[in-house]
Amino acid sequence: MRVYARYAAGRFLQFLLVVFIGINLAYVITHATPIDPVEHTVSVATAFGQTAPDAIESMRQSLRELYGLTGSPIEQYVNFWRRVIVADFGPSLSAFPTPVSSLIGRATPWTVGLLGVATLITWVIGNSLGGLAGYYRRSRTLKAFGILAMALHPMPYYIAAIVLLIVFGFVWPILPISGGSQMNVPRGWSADYMLSVARHSVLPMLSLILVGLGGWFVGMRSLVSNIVTEDYVTYAELAGVNKTRILTTYVMRNAIVPQVTGLAISLGHIFSGALITERVFGYPGIGSLLVDGVHAGDYSLVLGVTTISILGVSIAVLVIDLIYPLLDPRVTVG
Amino acid sequence: MSAAMQNFAARPEAAEGPVVAVRDLRAWYRLRLFGVDREVKAVDGITFEVRRDEIYGLAGESSSGKSTLVKTIAGAIKPPLEIVDGEIKFSFMPGTKGLSRAPPEIAARVRWRHLSYVMQGSMSVLNPVRRVGASFVDFAARHMGLDKAGFEAAVIAHLARVNLPGSVLMAYPHELSGGMRQRVAIALATICRPDFVIADEPTTALDVVVQKDVLGMFRSIQREMGSSVLFVTHDMGVHAHLTDRLGIMYAGRLVEEARTPDLFARPRHPYTRHLIHSLPSIGDDKPRIGLEGSPPSLASPPSGCRFHPRCAFAAERCRVEVPPMESVGPDHRVACFEKDRVEVTP
Repeated sequence: MRVYARYAAGRFLQFLLVVFIGINLAYVITHATPIDPVEHTVSVATAFGQTAPDAIESMRQSLRELYGLTGSPIEQYVNFWRRVIVADFGPSLSAFPTPVSSLIGRATPWTVGLLGVATLITWVIGNSLGGLAGYYRRSRTLKAFGILAMALHPMPYYIAAIVLLIVFGFVWPILPISGGSQMNVPRGWSADYMLSVARHSVLPMLSLILVGLGGWFVGMRSLVSNIVTEDYVTYAELAGVNKTRILTTYVMRNAIVPQVTGLAISLGHIFSGALITERVFGYPGIGSLLVDGVHAGDYSLVLGVTTISILGVSIAVLVIDLIYPLLDPRVTVG
Repeated sequence: MSAAMQNFAARPEAAEGPVVAVRDLRAWYRLRLFGVDREVKAVDGITFEVRRDEIYGLAGESSSGKSTLVKTIAGAIKPPLEIVDGEIKFSFMPGTKGLSRAPPEIAARVRWRHLSYVMQGSMSVLNPVRRVGASFVDFAARHMGLDKAGFEAAVIAHLARVNLPGSVLMAYPHELSGGMRQRVAIALATICRPDFVIADEPTTALDVVVQKDVLGMFRSIQREMGSSVLFVTHDMGVHAHLTDRLGIMYAGRLVEEARTPDLFARPRHPYTRHLIHSLPSIGDDKPRIGLEGSPPSLASPPSGCRFHPRCAFAAERCRVEVPPMESVGPDHRVACFEKDRVEVTP
């Protein structure tokens, strides 16, 4: 247990370091952009008529405070960290004066819900079938499935997404093609709303699963077909250990370890993966928000989304790292 | 099948006779590559038996078919390996012809209860992500018929026989040393007090000091349980130390078989002579005579006696006819036409 505590502490420090460096980079990059958000806002606000110069000046002043741009660079930097810790990224420029944090708060559940669930479903199905295909090498059904998954795998994601849209949106219009839920259904925990959300998520989720399945399937199949020749599997077979038990605790259990690392990495990619999916399906998540923010030069929004992404990826990796020793007892020793 | 099950239930404990009798066994690897059939005759006509309460040694160089023979007996037959001819009879499975041909339910009940196995490369036979105790449960619990606490107590008592503390049950395999893992493997193979244990190169990966320890324990457990053991290794020193009877394999066939001391004192087959004369002994610093040539390919073995291309005694007949196994003394059989000439040659 003490060994594990030391391991966990080490991983946690590493996590803090990664987050620190990542957010600093985000700070430097957004501050290095040629767009001055204050002047941008002022020009937008004054575009429709004459405003008194001192009114403009006081507006400029209050905007500087809102964006944390007052004082020396060091004060600004310290101020920035204080605001990051309380998750206050100032008002959004493109949706002024809505705070960035509430924009992100609104978008995050969509993205995490859609991509998180899709990633997990893909992982579970791909690994289960891949594991079975590696263990029962002669099964025709599993062989056929392997060919299908491999045929879909190299397809560029957006092609698969657009084909699905055309087939189920126009040729056989049974599913909604855009948005996260139906406009006229009030939001809440009602059955109507839930159903609408589910219907809207079918196509984006299906596109993610179809394209993602092959990779897990093939990876797990080759891992398993290596493991079935390991001595401990042969030995258990010779000992007459129950077949199901061999498949689960001897074969799959050992093969799943590297796949869990893969899961951590792909969960981390949720935020970057969201971009194309959300564009194609008009989904109201983080990816759409980020693209809009970049186009509008909305620097506080971009900074906020980046920070949240950095946190999301790091937390996913940290969680996986912490459960890893439970999966593979050899990890803490090394 | 039901008749076989009944036979199985009424196990004839008192029955004398061998635990395992192998008769004229042929197990070949049948490969088909690009439309060309290839047969590797790794086990080609072997007859021998393992008696009650004895350690039967099996020696031979690499690729002489030792491991294939053992796999065939243990019923670990996967394509391309197949039994072409012959039969294997176990005293504890009357009415069936070997594990691979028995109904699966019977095979599952026999495995580990009556026949267990210590594998080549025993270091890696334990599941790396499972505690040692869990492996004991997987392998043995269903045969022991004990409750959880009783089973654990039985395992701990058994581990004490190989000088291991009960705490190894909570350990993962990687936390144990090589010698400890080997002793765990031996404890695992003997916990159900099986009638027959197959040990395939169990100590080859260990250094000689640990090896001596492990062999000693193996011997004492075997004596205590009265199990029969088929012990396979190419290490003649281990055979001299441990086995009661010894069979020598060459190119998929048994060439000589005798009580171990007799075999070392009076080898009758030229190949056995070479094996024994190649052993170093203390105070003897004469150069050893190597054996010319290399082991034959089992895909296209030499005609007649398979040893003739490398044999100093080879006569015309050896190139054409296969020498039969013939008795030349009590418990001593040899397959050589020139055995009388071999014996008198110094």
